[in-house]
Amino acid sequence: MMSGQSKNISFDALVVGGGIAGGEAALNLASTGFKVLLVEKELSIGGKMIMLSKVFPTLDCAACITTPKVSEISRHPNITIYTGSEVGNINKIAENNFEATIIRKPRYVVIEDCTACQLCEQACPVSVPDQYQYNLVGRKAAFIPFSIASPKAAAIDIDNCILCGACEKVCPTNCIDFTQETEEIQISVKTVILATGFKLFDPLLMPRYGFGLFKNVITSMQMERELAPTRPFNTVLRPGDGKVPDKIAYVLCTGSRDASIGNPICSQICCMYSIKQSQLLMGALPMADVTIYYLNIRSFGKGFEEFYQQAKGMGVNFVKGKIGKIRETENGNGNLILRYEDINEGIVKEAEHDMVILSVGVLPNQDASGFFPKEELKLDPYKFIYQADSLISPARTSIDGVFVAGTASGPMDIPDSILSAGSASAEAISYLIQE
Amino acid sequence: MEIEKGKTFKCLRDKREVPQVVKDQLKEFNRIKKGMLDALKETDQTIDQLTQKLNMPKPEVVYYLMSLIKYGFVQTGEVDDMDEYFTYKLKK
Repeated sequence: MMSGQSKNISFDALVVGGGIAGGEAALNLASTGFKVLLVEKELSIGGKMIMLSKVFPTLDCAACITTPKVSEISRHPNITIYTGSEVGNINKIAENNFEATIIRKPRYVVIEDCTACQLCEQACPVSVPDQYQYNLVGRKAAFIPFSIASPKAAAIDIDNCILCGACEKVCPTNCIDFTQETEEIQISVKTVILATGFKLFDPLLMPRYGFGLFKNVITSMQMERELAPTRPFNTVLRPGDGKVPDKIAYVLCTGSRDASIGNPICSQICCMYSIKQSQLLMGALPMADVTIYYLNIRSFGKGFEEFYQQAKGMGVNFVKGKIGKIRETENGNGNLILRYEDINEGIVKEAEHDMVILSVGVLPNQDASGFFPKEELKLDPYKFIYQADSLISPARTSIDGVFVAGTASGPMDIPDSILSAGSASAEAISYLIQE
Repeated sequence: MEIEKGKTFKCLRDKREVPQVVKDQLKEFNRIKKGMLDALKETDQTIDQLTQKLNMPKPEVVYYLMSLIKYGFVQTGEVDDMDEYFTYKLKK
């Protein structure tokens, strides 16, 4: 459904993507006095960072850093946020003059009226896999995405709604509105920042690792959720049988540095987030053995090498080995046999673990390449947004007035994403004041 | 025509049919929920015991049981002597 109505409004800047980079860029622009429209396709801003347990190498609580930032973005008078919205197209009319179409999907809830009381969630009879818990647990069709979501308001998953009206009947503020329709909004802006982030490698593309087939093989994002305060289970458990694991393996470079699956580059974050998770696991499960199978540990950032040595000191076992195949044991206990090449000894070995975490890599999000029907937004050889002058002007793209922030231009960690957002906002401000 | 607040779902119901797969998933969830809650009424259960009682694969028992904990029907009980498996009980 598309409503016939269209709005036409003006902003100084359009920021596409409400993750940590997009949010930071929007804040910088807004604090300088520019009016910003922040468009986020998910139901909450905060991106992937808001879903993390802690950050490396400081082990600070990710939510404790993200929540105040997200709150500042949400409350800023110069920032308008459209969640559940996507860019249709962006046309450059002239310098400092872009016209964009934003597709705003219906949430079926009036955000301003929702008190996040969760009565609709309790009343909804439907249960479907919760994408914000990476399908480890269910959620309702009337739901608040997650406890620290921003905006903290309910949404209706219309594809799974049975239209029983139970949510509407219990809503104390009558904020549920099934008459909402998709809106197409025409906007005029003077500059654009692309902060469309990255995608995670789908390990189903590597069937030899058994993801999807063996339930105790999970991804690093699923483990991230198991370690977060708002976790799906009461503690770290195997999804295959609810057992507390005690011999856990990490497989680094799953979907990175592997030309055979089309991603030959290093994802830059997997070594460190795996080391971070291993330390958190040692804290959550003091009796557990954690082994990290790696090709090379790339601990290149500030404090990273010390963080790696700290993990070793805590008893994390590091094995320089390339995993060939993962299979389940035949006795039905759900344990897994990892067949690997021990690179130091040059021989093939096997090891049994009761849970395997695939440290999945960073892939480009190519959504932005389709935004510009009349201009060419160049991509680099790995399909990230091309940086026209990566040394002197790293946020510049192939289109004047369009800048890139964060992992949309390549794999990087959170501090680098924030620095990149600073660069993008500075260059955008410079472009705006040249008007 | 003015649509009454609190009953807007009727408006969408006239325009949109609920897919059969969604109705089937709801039936399946209700069947499993009833089975689990009935089993837990008798006594606290481990995932292994629920698996045998409900004749379901273990990963599905974990998924639905954890969902019922999230929805406030079930709570986690004691862990066994080996610190490996928890029992689960009805939330009173």
